[in-house]
Amino acid sequence: MKYKRKKPKTEKTGRISRRGFLKGAGITAAGTVLAGSGVLKLQAQTEEKDKTLGPDAVNIKIKVNGHVRQLSIEPRTTLADALRKELQLTGVKVGCNRGACSACTVWIDGIPVLSCMTLAVEVGDKEVTTIEGLAKDDRLNPVQEAFMEHDATQCGFCTSGMIMTATHLLEHNPSPTEKDVKVALSGNFCRCGTHPKVFDAILDAARKM
Amino acid sequence: MNNIDAIGHVTGQSVYLDDIPLQEGTLHALAFGSDIANGKIISLDVQTAENFSGVIKIFTAKDIPGENRIGGIIDDEVLFARDEVLYIGQPIALIVAKDDYSARKARKLIKVTYEEREAITDPREAKEKGLLLFPPRTFESGNIEDAWSKCDHVFEGRADTGGQEHLYIETQGAYVYPLENENLKVHSSTQGPTVVQKTIARVLGLPMHRIEVSVTRLGGAFGGKEDQATAWACMAALASRKLHKPVKISLSRPDDMVMTGKRHPYSSDFRIGLTKDLKILAFETTLFQNGGAATDLSPAIIGRSLFHITNSYHIPNVRATAYSCKTNLPPFTAFRGFGGPQAMFVIEAAIAKAAELLNIPARIIQEKNLIKENDVFHYGQTAKNVHAAKSWREVLNQFQVENNTKEIEDFNAQNPTVKKGLAMMPVCFGISFTKIPMNQARALIHIYQDGSVGVSTGAVEMGQGVNTKLLQIASQFFSISPAKVKIETTNTTRVANTSPTAASSGADLNGNALLDACDKLLLRLKKTASKTLKTDIGSIEIIDEIVFVSGKATSLKWKKLIETAFLDRVSLSAVGHYATPVIYFDKTVEKGRPFAYHVYGTAAITAKLDCLRGIYSIEKVQIVHDFGNSLNLMIDLGQVEGAVVQGIGWMTMEELRFSKKGELLSNSLSTYKVPDIYAAPETIECKALETEGPELAVLRSKAVGEPPLMYGIGAYFALRNAIRAFNPEAHIGFDAPLTPEKVLLSLYSVTKVAGTM
Repeated sequence: MKYKRKKPKTEKTGRISRRGFLKGAGITAAGTVLAGSGVLKLQAQTEEKDKTLGPDAVNIKIKVNGHVRQLSIEPRTTLADALRKELQLTGVKVGCNRGACSACTVWIDGIPVLSCMTLAVEVGDKEVTTIEGLAKDDRLNPVQEAFMEHDATQCGFCTSGMIMTATHLLEHNPSPTEKDVKVALSGNFCRCGTHPKVFDAILDAARKM
Repeated sequence: MNNIDAIGHVTGQSVYLDDIPLQEGTLHALAFGSDIANGKIISLDVQTAENFSGVIKIFTAKDIPGENRIGGIIDDEVLFARDEVLYIGQPIALIVAKDDYSARKARKLIKVTYEEREAITDPREAKEKGLLLFPPRTFESGNIEDAWSKCDHVFEGRADTGGQEHLYIETQGAYVYPLENENLKVHSSTQGPTVVQKTIARVLGLPMHRIEVSVTRLGGAFGGKEDQATAWACMAALASRKLHKPVKISLSRPDDMVMTGKRHPYSSDFRIGLTKDLKILAFETTLFQNGGAATDLSPAIIGRSLFHITNSYHIPNVRATAYSCKTNLPPFTAFRGFGGPQAMFVIEAAIAKAAELLNIPARIIQEKNLIKENDVFHYGQTAKNVHAAKSWREVLNQFQVENNTKEIEDFNAQNPTVKKGLAMMPVCFGISFTKIPMNQARALIHIYQDGSVGVSTGAVEMGQGVNTKLLQIASQFFSISPAKVKIETTNTTRVANTSPTAASSGADLNGNALLDACDKLLLRLKKTASKTLKTDIGSIEIIDEIVFVSGKATSLKWKKLIETAFLDRVSLSAVGHYATPVIYFDKTVEKGRPFAYHVYGTAAITAKLDCLRGIYSIEKVQIVHDFGNSLNLMIDLGQVEGAVVQGIGWMTMEELRFSKKGELLSNSLSTYKVPDIYAAPETIECKALETEGPELAVLRSKAVGEPPLMYGIGAYFALRNAIRAFNPEAHIGFDAPLTPEKVLLSLYSVTKVAGTM
């Protein structure tokens, strides 16, 4: 299948902790932290420079899997919750909600991020990709195929996060060493113990890509 | 055949509890738990919390219309604490709010005053104080008193194993909504839909038929959702019933870790006696099971500990006594292996201690005492189709264990600060629920008019691949394409009175029930075919969806056959039933034949230890395992690998810690470490032992979920051997898990403390 490869992005997404954000960061103050993110646009749109963002819902636009979607969400809403609850993209899984298991991994502009540790309002005009956006024209990507072929799933709850991480790895490093795979996947928790097969699947996908 | 769920998993389409679309007006529930581990509740004030914006209602024990009781085996567990609390996190109230956020905010406003009592967390202390959950049990064979005098060597010691957090990546949860006529529909992340149904009925004072429980799949369970999924479903059901609203409860990770039970920690004393030619003549042990604050499944778990106290060995004189000790910790519960691993650690520790003091490798003792055909287990069952020695030899041969041992010796001689150790770990695990009535199952098949097939059973898919195996069974039996078969959700209205999917027996019990249903339907279809083709029924066969007569293909195909049968008014639905034959057990004498069969296997485990830092890796796990005639070797190998990783985690890095006050200290993924891709063994090689497989296993494919977990115990002894290669005088207690911290302390310990090894 033809699979679109993305160029490596050097620019990191501006990040703030959701807790810090909740603790009453006004939009002006937050704006400096969020330089480069879409909240600034939001600020310009609303022109309520002195007003704290939230707790009431705000309207944002978010580009997910190639489609621009309108959302009305409270600013404290994590990206994981926005994707799962507002957009029904439930392939994004929440295992710990603390940034420790990586089940919620999605891409923002091609870079894997933990969507449970990212606020939806942080995304701005960047593009979000979830597991649901990987298969193009109903054709699986090579990592998805390899996971099936190698039986690298058991309960399946960690699988989408694993595949998002692994696909990103192979897009930037087409011939990873075993160590590269370990480094990339080290944050992805799997309690069923599928690691040996995940490992085989990713190395095999690399050979086929 | 690949796992049928894999396509959903890799595309994110698989539906788990938290993914079910919510009905308009769904409320969110959150449990409020005790802050202290032991005490009386003096006052409970929920008013301020109930007035908090967004909160609809707060439920406590007094709101329960039926019984405030959820204990399955012994009736000692409440849904909500009313007068006293017995562990930190024990639910006292349920906050129901319009969203999860409001519920969380309100939870902080609930005020409780307690009269605090001293918390007990140590099982031996509880036993001293007479705090037992139920009376002790003793299994005995031979004559232990006489045997000691015939032993040339007698060794004593103590062995401890820690608990284990399940850490199923999908937390506990339930979603309940009212149906018409005061019925309730319950989606629960449970291994036991019927347990949930029955307990909700009890709590709400309703007949079971008003409660419909449905399970699509679980994001892992490992025993943690056999009994402990029930309370959450009951809470959501209570709120839904009272408020006439859909109510969802989904535990946060910290709540799940604090409020739910885990694998039982055990502390044990042992005494082992050997002859001079290293036959184990006598083995006596006392197990102190840390049961937690309520019984839960502890009696069954302690039973399995007693069954597996001799692991793969035949010991003629055995006495094993087990106490289930009541402590102020969450009720400990089922976890893959179900008490077996804790028991096997004790006998392996006893053998290791004997070997160390006799200055010989443990594997010499292990090998000499492996159980043989027609030996009698200490619980009275005669060992049949034994593969203990065979799998042991196969490991030695196929993985060149002698050579590896020599290489390790050379390596250790050349490397002063890096040492390797190897240990052998045989496993013998009995298959069947040890509570005989649980060994039954049912299946329901519908063949639709177009020839497609729907299969319902009581089995719950939780990653172990049972649905794939069931689909294979139906498609193989009818000889139709797997694409024609669909495995339905597990639902109590389609298949009632189910046993939980546990004890590794999901495929055996439900698969055999499915075979029974398939058999009935195939007979009907053959009758139709013989009528249509005007031939006798004995000559009919269906092969690859084509009807054959006396070995010759006819023009009658599956689809047409089904259509014909329907028009001829033949029932295309059937219910199958299975009850494991031959098993029985007499608890008054603790003898019988409790298991349909045993699973055997052996592993050789090699550990590599950095003696400067105490950190280690498990280099190799080499296994020969008895799958019987595996239905799906790919799935079964995955089960072996996963179980081994979990077993190694339990023995090495997973350290469950409570404070003296009963507070869970290892309460997050950052403080409770489970194996990641780095910690998983560098290689796991598993070869299938060529065996026919027992008749009582479904299509002779043996149960596989639990037995391989116990190979992980070998990691403990491999590490121990590596430590002793560095410091032969090292003082190492038999105290799992062997964390890097403990390893480092052992490496540089010099004094043996008498009697504590």
